[in-house]
Amino acid sequence: MNNSIKRNIFRSARLTSLYIVVAGIALIIIFPLFFLFSFSFMSDYETYSEWPKPLVPSVKAEFMIDKDSEGYHLYIYNKSKKDFAGFGPISFNNSETDLTKLSKYIKIQANCKISIEDINSYLSIVDRDGEIRFSARKDLFANYILFFQVTRDAGPSVLRSLMVALFTILISLSIGGMAGYAFARYFFKGKNILKIGVLFVRMFPAVSIAIPMVIILAKMGLTDKPLGLSLVYAVGQISMSIWVTASVFMSIPVSLEEAALIFGTNRIGAFWHITLPLALPGLAACAMYAFIGSWNEVISAIVLTQFNPTFPVVVYKALIRSQSQVNLITAGSITQALPAIIFTLIIRKYILQMWGGVKV
Amino acid sequence: MAVTLELSNIAKRYSKKVWGVKKMDLQVKNKEFIVLLGPSGCGKTTTMRMVAGLEEVTRGTILLDGKDITDKAPRDRGISMVFQNYAIWPHMTVFDNIAFSLKLQKIPKKEIRLRVEDTAQMVKIQELLERLPGQLSGGQQQRVALARALVVKPKLFLMDEPLSNLDAKLRVIMRTELKAIHLKTGATSIFVTHDQSEAMSMADRIVIMKDGEIVQIGTPDDVYFRSASVFVAGFIGTPPANFFNVHCHIDGKDITLTNENFNLSISRERFENLADYEGKNIILGIRPEDIEIVEESEALFSNEIMVIEPQGSHQVVALNVSDNIVKMIVPAETKLQYNDTLFLNFKMNRLHLFDSDTELRIN
Ligand SMILES: Nc1ncnc2c1ncn2[C@@H]1O[C@H](COP(=O)(O)OP(=O)(O)O)[C@@H](O)[C@H]1O
Ligand SMILES: [Mg+2]
Repeated sequence: MNNSIKRNIFRSARLTSLYIVVAGIALIIIFPLFFLFSFSFMSDYETYSEWPKPLVPSVKAEFMIDKDSEGYHLYIYNKSKKDFAGFGPISFNNSETDLTKLSKYIKIQANCKISIEDINSYLSIVDRDGEIRFSARKDLFANYILFFQVTRDAGPSVLRSLMVALFTILISLSIGGMAGYAFARYFFKGKNILKIGVLFVRMFPAVSIAIPMVIILAKMGLTDKPLGLSLVYAVGQISMSIWVTASVFMSIPVSLEEAALIFGTNRIGAFWHITLPLALPGLAACAMYAFIGSWNEVISAIVLTQFNPTFPVVVYKALIRSQSQVNLITAGSITQALPAIIFTLIIRKYILQMWGGVKV
Repeated sequence: MAVTLELSNIAKRYSKKVWGVKKMDLQVKNKEFIVLLGPSGCGKTTTMRMVAGLEEVTRGTILLDGKDITDKAPRDRGISMVFQNYAIWPHMTVFDNIAFSLKLQKIPKKEIRLRVEDTAQMVKIQELLERLPGQLSGGQQQRVALARALVVKPKLFLMDEPLSNLDAKLRVIMRTELKAIHLKTGATSIFVTHDQSEAMSMADRIVIMKDGEIVQIGTPDDVYFRSASVFVAGFIGTPPANFFNVHCHIDGKDITLTNENFNLSISRERFENLADYEGKNIILGIRPEDIEIVEESEALFSNEIMVIEPQGSHQVVALNVSDNIVKMIVPAETKLQYNDTLFLNFKMNRLHLFDSDTELRIN
């Protein structure tokens, strides 16, 4: 009796500590990402004047205006000091130029839009009551909008990156898929050596092939073009696709195709009607790898592009150029992560079929 | 009857050393149910696949309804097939599986539905049409595979060990149903199995194969009562035939077959072609039910019971005759006990005699 209780306690203690460790690891992985995410919504004021940082970005900012002999004074509520702190010019009057400046300052520093008319009406209340407190809704996506405004070429580079990713998927999946099918279905001499061989490509660092690639692409007239870059990415992805698709095709019994041959179709029809639908989860997984691989790649992209950089290059260059605006860069980074996440979500059904224990 | 399928001199060589089928000549008549029987690896599947067009022939020709189909694509042959592992498509519903070939033929939707439902009724899966194969039991999947093959109304219906993945009880049920379906549709069929009782119970004619060659073609009675070789006699029957090495001695009208256990006298009239075997060794085969328990005075030899295996309807008794296990079938009513001594004789009209060298039938 006593023993079994001891054993129970021991077991639950073990289980609990396991959960703590797992949760800890998850936190360590997730926390920086979450912080990045949170940062991308913060205004400059929140980023640089508040410490410790709040975990969740605020959706509005609180202001106060009062008045003395020198003129009006603007304060903003500082969440870490839990008090109002001076904000903007030491003092201002209700002249047109002062108010325009002030409105701009609030927009840039606090990401809030307050029009001159609004300020004027607030000032009239201050004239009457001595002070006013008001809050304004924060423009959450200001950093994102600003990032695309200030970073030259960010918008077109997203398009280029999408094109690169699309080409990479198409090239690596069609060539890799065909090779994978051959590896799975046919026997030929040197098959295993060849299959290992395709992995060698992945063993070289990207830069080491990037430089010869510049020369090759230049000769092909594909430097600084999305297609050229995706060719380079496809080289690595093809070997990946070959391995994944080969194992997928191997798991589909040949007799399913043979049945299709007997029941009225030819080899291509059998592939189209039977093999392809069954292989879809595996192909989707390959597509995901190819997408993520090409979407996030920076090093080769820096070497191989000049006037038409991909989005990661733009983000990277923005990062090394700017010492100050961290929140802008985080907005860029999140923008970069988003398509990969969305793409993964779209094909998650297939990925789950492939690795989630649901048999095809 | 008209010949539907004719295999002449076909062979399949997979590689230098591996022959799938060495030589095969076979004529299948219209509406016939042919069973290819043989131990695993004897080339049954290879034969099927050559007929189906899934495997190229190395030599020989295949005629179906008089037309040479040797080099035709599987879909142009007018055949259909049930695979051993069913090979039904897991991403299609039962209906789509069965309708696949009809859809490719661009048959109107209404007619497809009618034909699929008819066939489904025949194999008793009409309630399962909307299900996916993953939700079916092995037996049900088997029926889907059957329906898919039947719905196309083929000239020739191929089945490669279709029952071997089912459990023993279901196998026997399906056997009966398959035969009933065959009688109803009259489809010319080739059925592959390594199970001799399955072959015996279903076949119009059995083709017994060994090492890529045909050993005997015949009705179930032919292969059972007139087995062409030691191999056939030893392969067919539960339990199969017993064999004795005997010395043949011919003296005028009398022939005596002797070994250390018995002296068996047989009359020359019935065994004309034994003449050449004077003084030679031959193999005597006798089926378990052809060994009789007799009075001591009529006994050919006597032996103690080694093992009794009751089967309900009968019992199988195993004897140890000079280190040679001999099995005999005894009616269930006969009271027997372990170690009883039995006095035995053979049914003279049921003897099988084989050449010792070629192992081929003599009588
Ligand atoms: N694809 C193949 N490649 C090489 N040898 C094969 C192949 N298929 C079958 N064989 C060989 O051919 C022989 C006959 O095989 P098979 O027709 O499958 O026999 P069964 O169906 O009677 O068991 C066997 O020895 C087998 O090893
Ligand atoms: Mg086989």
